[in-house]
Amino acid sequence: MQAKAAVNEKPVHSINNAFASKFAKSMFLAICGLFILTFIGTRMFTHIDLNLYGYMVGTIVFLGGFFYRFIAWGERPPTKIIIKKGIKLLFRKSTPKTSVEHLATYRFIWNRGIYRWTQHVLIGWGCILACCVTFPLVFGWMYFTMDDNGMYNIILFGMQILTVPADGIIANLSYNALNITAVMVIAGVCMVLYRRFKNMQARAEQKFMYDFLPLVMLILVSVTGLLLTFLNMFMHGHGQPAMSLIHQWTVIITLIYLPFGKLAHIPFRPLSVFAKNYREYYGEQSMKKCKVCETEFVSTEQSKDVVEVLGVNDIHFKTEEGYHLAELCLPCRRKYRIAQFSGFPTHEVKVKEANQNAKG
Amino acid sequence: MTKKRLYLELENCIGCRSCLAACTQCGGHEERNRNYVYDVNPLVNRQTMPLMCLHCVNPACARSCPAQAIQIHETGAVLSALVEKCIGCQNCTIACPYGIPKFDTEQNLMYKCDLCIDRTKDGIPPMCASVCPSNTLQWLTDEEIENKKQQFNLDNGKWVTSLPYLEGETNVKVNLPGILQGVTKLF
Repeated sequence: MQAKAAVNEKPVHSINNAFASKFAKSMFLAICGLFILTFIGTRMFTHIDLNLYGYMVGTIVFLGGFFYRFIAWGERPPTKIIIKKGIKLLFRKSTPKTSVEHLATYRFIWNRGIYRWTQHVLIGWGCILACCVTFPLVFGWMYFTMDDNGMYNIILFGMQILTVPADGIIANLSYNALNITAVMVIAGVCMVLYRRFKNMQARAEQKFMYDFLPLVMLILVSVTGLLLTFLNMFMHGHGQPAMSLIHQWTVIITLIYLPFGKLAHIPFRPLSVFAKNYREYYGEQSMKKCKVCETEFVSTEQSKDVVEVLGVNDIHFKTEEGYHLAELCLPCRRKYRIAQFSGFPTHEVKVKEANQNAKG
Repeated sequence: MTKKRLYLELENCIGCRSCLAACTQCGGHEERNRNYVYDVNPLVNRQTMPLMCLHCVNPACARSCPAQAIQIHETGAVLSALVEKCIGCQNCTIACPYGIPKFDTEQNLMYKCDLCIDRTKDGIPPMCASVCPSNTLQWLTDEEIENKKQQFNLDNGKWVTSLPYLEGETNVKVNLPGILQGVTKLF
């Protein structure tokens, strides 16, 4: 029967049919993209720094892990919904503001604590800046040349975008970009380690593999990176080739680990912007009224989506009164449960719930 | 170490709210309580009942989380959202059949009862159970819960924990009030 239906179906000519899986498609497109960018950036492969080819291979292995992890994750019903609607709502007026607050200034972490914010900014921005320097260098999207007249050229995608005196501030900043980010990351990781050793809450919950391993990797990357500079400047390059390999090893291991541990929150954090847009947009459209007290507590769309996702998971919270539990506001849902326990319809008594926040 | 469970005898509750206060003092709770105490019939009498996360075996909150921020511990406890993963969509608050998860808009973070995982993973009772003065919240082995069941079993099929009055299998066991069971408990 199924086979017959398949035969009768009109063949769909989609680019997706060319690939065995989403993974294959993503991997193919990503590598093509890298290849083309590199082709352009290196002026037809004339400016490749072969010293960095290990990172190139490492990045491609990383992409494999990355797509594997995130495609699997994106297939989960709730994730799928929020990604789909998030992309649709991407061009909202508030998106830039939300993105900056969530992804650049970490306002929500500030609200969790200034110490935590400081450590996160140091590590986060240290890593972002370092990646902005490293990957263009690895793929030849950015390189430097020096003229005879003591001027220093920064070349991005084959275009000379900046010419500065070789002993000027900008030139020095660009020579030391990775040293600066390494110092930022080391300072941030030290703050994190201090908190993790001292804070009782952190000590109770942390695990070596989940909480410490990424820190160890970050500190290894930063320290070996700084050592490269140290060996070049003060040891006449003695031991530099070995250290360079060690540094390469730490970076590649960190990259491969990234999609699978705590650091996985980096690539999927943008989803919080999607979530905010999703709540704001559908909240403006129409709000759901609680079936008992008629308070508006969530957008109709989100309520519908959650009910649907639960349905996919074969969870159906149907009540005897004929509504879904997700259609009650939170206090009513709690009172409804008390009502199930006691046999007295607590949720129908029109009294606001007593204060439930004990102050510690 | 034998596995112990949180066990609720709801009619014992005297409404002292010690469990709320104790909850704030747990190491991992950042001085915010995650449980509730409700008046059953607020305009008529003083009966109260506690309500906390019942740690579903198949938790709706975790099923509805797009970020996989709600993890299930090997002890069966459904943990609070991982701070780095929670994206603040609040799906979990809508999905939970008991309305348990709380949400902090400022911090863009959901928090809920994690059964004091720092304590219970080492067999120490959760804060609420260790302070409850009226034995409403108890920390018992399965065998002890079974004994309770025998004690209240009047051969009329009226022992009721969890399922008929809950939405699914839970790791926390709830004993319904004697008044529903048709027995008066003797202390």
